[in-house]
Amino acid sequence: MQLKPIALNVLVVLSLIIASCQEKKSLPFLGPKDTHLIDGKVDTIYHQIPPFRFLNQDSTWVSEKDLSGKIYVADFFFTSCPTICPKMKTQLLRIYERYASNDQIRILSHSIDPTFDTPIVLKQYAERLQVKAPRWNMLTGDKAAIYKLGEKSYMVTAQEDKNEAGGFVHSGAFILVDKNRHVRGIYDGTQETEVNHLIEDIEILLQEK
Amino acid sequence: MKSILFISLVVLFASCQSKEEIMYQQYVVEGRSIYEKNCANCHQSNGSGLRDLYPALAKTDLWKRVNAQQLVCIIKQGQKGEIKVNGKSYSGYMPANTKLEAIDIAELVTFMKDNWGDKKIYTFDEARTALKNCP
Repeated sequence: MQLKPIALNVLVVLSLIIASCQEKKSLPFLGPKDTHLIDGKVDTIYHQIPPFRFLNQDSTWVSEKDLSGKIYVADFFFTSCPTICPKMKTQLLRIYERYASNDQIRILSHSIDPTFDTPIVLKQYAERLQVKAPRWNMLTGDKAAIYKLGEKSYMVTAQEDKNEAGGFVHSGAFILVDKNRHVRGIYDGTQETEVNHLIEDIEILLQEK
Repeated sequence: MKSILFISLVVLFASCQSKEEIMYQQYVVEGRSIYEKNCANCHQSNGSGLRDLYPALAKTDLWKRVNAQQLVCIIKQGQKGEIKVNGKSYSGYMPANTKLEAIDIAELVTFMKDNWGDKKIYTFDEARTALKNCP
């Protein structure tokens, strides 16, 4: 009985050593996980972005079906944001330019001020940023739906706050989503070094079948 | 012995710079950190702006067209409506920087002039007077 925990410890340490020897080749699945039994085997159900439907800057509906088989980076912003959004957009531009000719990569920027950020406002913003859908979709729609998706699915904060500059509080996170809409990484979109990691991780995802 | 040598070197070096020169350098250093905190998000650290969304500050005709008085008011009160920089029109809005006081603005403007303008100090007194004259 005494040996068991020790043996377990040894096993854990050994597996850690082995794991650390291997190159970093896979990304974690983030968010709540669920398990169920299929034919007597335990199967893990990973957190998945649920179906959604929003209007983009071209007044075209964008849903999860349009992201089928795509790797994408999601963020939350608003066009009149005076604080971190410009920094985030500067960093997202790096990703946009880097994958300019890669049809597998998409960017989804959700407005958290959809009342002001109508498709026309988003269109003007996108044009001034010199970016285009579908590679970079700027999305607007039902405010409650956007906030719920942000908090429950992308695991970031997004809410109105009259005390904040610009009237909204939101995180500067970039969320990396794989081809099956699983969240595989969350990064600080205001930091260049963090976005370097994001790009490295996109490269890893591109290798996944 | 070494420390005496060091101190005398420092004194010698410092005496080469006039009081005005030292103050100018201080303003530029302080101004840079104010710029990074309040301006660089949009206008970028090097003043390049961001595409057609936020106008550049570096290498622009802005420094010939806009005088210090106008610049101070734009910094303090923000900018709404169309503004032309290098012939290009920008229509986004710039938020007011109500928290910046006269000394901050003097340092900030000196930093900007040092990088992109006439490299002359913008004094605290000038900033204070300009702030009073804003509409």
